[in-house]
Amino acid sequence: MFDDPLLLARLQFAFTASIHYLFVALTLGLAPFILASQFSATVRRDEARMRAVRFWGGLYVVNYGMGVLSGLVMELQLATNWSGLSDTFGYAFGAPLAVETMGAFFIESTFLGLWIFGWDRMGRWAHLACFAVVTATAYASAYWVLVANGFLKNPVGFEINDGVAELTDPVALAANPSALLALAHIANTALIVGSLVIAAVSAYHLARRNDPDGMFGRGIRRAALVFALSVFPASITGGVQFAFSEDGPPTSGLTYTAEEIAAIEGAYEQGGGVATGIGTAGEVFMTLSWLLMTMLSVVILVVWLFRGIDRWRWFLWPMVFTPFLPYLASIGGWIYRETSRQPWAVVHHLTTADAMTDMSPAMAAVSFSLFTAAFAALATITFWLLVRFARRGPDGGPLAPAPERDADPAVPAHTF
Amino acid sequence: MEILAVLVLTGLVVGYFVLAGCDIGLGMLMPYLARTPGDRRRTVSAIAPYFLGSEVWLVGAVGVVAGLFPELKSGVIVELWPVFTALLAGWLLRDAGLWFRGRVDAAGWHGAWDTAITAGSWVLAVCWGLVIGGLLSGGAPLDPFSLVCAATMVALFALRGAAFGAERLVPPPGAEPRAALRGALPPARGGLAVARREAAVNPAECADVAGQATRVLARVALGGTVLAAGAALLPGAAAALERPQAAAAAAVVVGVAVAATAGLSGPRLSRHTSAVAIAVPPLLVAAAVELPVVAAPAGTLALVVFALAPVVPLMIAGQVWLYRMLRRPAPVSGFFA
Ligand code: HDD
Ligand code: HEM
Ligand code: HEM
Repeated sequence: MFDDPLLLARLQFAFTASIHYLFVALTLGLAPFILASQFSATVRRDEARMRAVRFWGGLYVVNYGMGVLSGLVMELQLATNWSGLSDTFGYAFGAPLAVETMGAFFIESTFLGLWIFGWDRMGRWAHLACFAVVTATAYASAYWVLVANGFLKNPVGFEINDGVAELTDPVALAANPSALLALAHIANTALIVGSLVIAAVSAYHLARRNDPDGMFGRGIRRAALVFALSVFPASITGGVQFAFSEDGPPTSGLTYTAEEIAAIEGAYEQGGGVATGIGTAGEVFMTLSWLLMTMLSVVILVVWLFRGIDRWRWFLWPMVFTPFLPYLASIGGWIYRETSRQPWAVVHHLTTADAMTDMSPAMAAVSFSLFTAAFAALATITFWLLVRFARRGPDGGPLAPAPERDADPAVPAHTF
Repeated sequence: MEILAVLVLTGLVVGYFVLAGCDIGLGMLMPYLARTPGDRRRTVSAIAPYFLGSEVWLVGAVGVVAGLFPELKSGVIVELWPVFTALLAGWLLRDAGLWFRGRVDAAGWHGAWDTAITAGSWVLAVCWGLVIGGLLSGGAPLDPFSLVCAATMVALFALRGAAFGAERLVPPPGAEPRAALRGALPPARGGLAVARREAAVNPAECADVAGQATRVLARVALGGTVLAAGAALLPGAAAALERPQAAAAAAVVVGVAVAATAGLSGPRLSRHTSAVAIAVPPLLVAAAVELPVVAAPAGTLALVVFALAPVVPLMIAGQVWLYRMLRRPAPVSGFFA
């Protein structure tokens, strides 16, 4: 396996992207909850609710750290391993990524810094506004990255000049249905991820009869409501993608003729197409866990109706493990989407093999082992930290008000 | 339009070097400046709020390269593939250290991630040195000329960190500075040894050690600049330098900036001189090296300009607000350290 650079590069991308998405999905899912609770705490000037914001916000920030670490690797990996993509499609595929880094990440990270360090230093409305910016930019970055990804699946809005794609219709690129449909489905399913994580953490504490200021009772009710409301739409926002993914892209024929395309795809299918099998497995995982979650939402609503949602232990303990379902579905969905594109990196224009940088097997093996190992380690540590802080509850969270530390002067100050 | 894109990219890279130089340099010097656990905690909480605001400049620069200068990306990044891979690894290690350090309260955990922060900072500085050297020499990061450039860059990073530390590691006004102890010692004129000894008794005074270090580091950087200027004259060394005047001007500016700090005036000026000095190498690359930049097509530019124009004020406001807020002393939020 270590002598096939293409396989290594593909596996590496699949692995790092999946890990990145695990954390990103939670970022996207938690942000609206935190924004809503901070808003209600701010309006009511309620210290108790603010403690809850600090608790969920602590989980958010720990999770965000890993989103950043893995996102950086994704970005640089595109540059180092997939230079064929930028050679030919840099101006079309890279442009949304450029907007994303400057217009979304830049702002998101800066305002998250303001939010973390501004707890006791700025007015409560200003502080709320910071998180509103963080939430908006998180979704903006998801949108722009999906514009880039949607272009791979449904390349639109360009002409080929001298073998290089020139973006001629930025509006078509930004309004690519392949990106917009994915954004709708992802925003929808990220809420499922976020709500089940909140429900699970709340259930854990409620089962142990630990409910400071009623925050976990509130948490599980809100999460249950959002969860129940977003499960069914997931099948609609996802289902329309099925319909869409049937047709070839409108730009088909600009690079290869129909015969050449048929030949390339034929050769791929001849070769067995292991990826197709994996993709089907991903699809099955996604639909199966959707089915389970639909049933789960009914159970939750019935339990709520009988007022057991914050009391019944037989219900609460299993709830703790339910976040596995949306996570499995999310990874499955992505694997389905990305493998169904094969053998193309850009459908009907650039094959995956041509998209890869000319790497020696040694280079590929070094890059693969280095980043795969690092990622596995980082993701494990982050997961462990998240579980640890979730179990500790509001008093031990990373954003909990700093205890008066003795003697040593806390923060260094400028003297100029 | 093309010139605008080049200016934006140069601005982002220079902004990254100037701002991130502070926190990378301080990370490099951490084992030297901070000997006690309390010192290290303060050092990390000096670094942490800044890295959130400074590394986005690099992320932005990478995005601009990917979107507007794909040829530059495949030209430069692929050519220097091993350097960029190592750079990425160092970045990852350092960020992991910063994100994880404060999460568990145990000496071993802190020690391990402090090591990661320091090692990652060194890898970053060395790799940026090699990138600059490699670009100036036309793709040979291991030539003597490139290596001298790289070493100078490393010294500039450390200098920037020391200048930053000299300010940020001063305890807040209310804190007890153990002035009595300091008074008992001879004034710290005698250089590092004295400052070192003083800091050993007085943990609040890492700032002094950092201040002392600025002079030594400035002298090293001055030596490096002179050597690099000399090496550039060797036949074939600085192959990629298209405009020798620009290179000479750059050497003079860096030389003067570090010479002004190398004297005995203390670290006061070093905040500005180190910023000037570290901004020059990327400017030199932009001005004097013929890089494969081609004007992006109109459609791409239109997309980027229209999407970004509305949010530029927010980008600027966020950065200014963050840096201003952090100037005021306040209780540590406890997140990073
Ligand atoms: C909680 C997670 C979750 C759940 C319950 C579902 N999905 Fe999904 N699905 C995703 C999470 C996801 C995802 C990770 O968000 C994907 C990957 C790429 C994307 O656009 O969304 C995805 C992709 C994706 C695609 C691939 C689109 C493409 O190839 O362009 C299809 C066709 C569906 N989904 C369809 C469905 C249907 C019919 C579902 C319900 C019956 C469903 N999804 C439930
Ligand atoms: C090739 C694919 C991708 C690349 C190159 C990429 C790149 C990045 C980078 C560089 C960061 C860190 C930015 C920072 O410093 O703050 C990041 C974070 C983020 N990414 Fe991605 N990403 C990719 C895929 C995705 C996908 C598929 C989504 C969602 C649908 C997504 C959404 C986000 C969000 C919301 C963040 C910020 C929140 C967080 O860090 O947890 N990204 N990404
Ligand atoms: C939105 C941002 C994304 C972009 C721009 C992107 C782009 C790419 C690229 C360039 C490749 C390699 C070339 C190719 O196989 O076509 C790839 C492969 C792959 N990506 Fe993504 N990707 C994104 C998000 C994701 C996410 C979030 C996942 C999570 C599971 C994922 C899963 C995969 C898989 C499984 C492959 C390997 C497919 C194969 O080689 O058979 N991708 N993607």
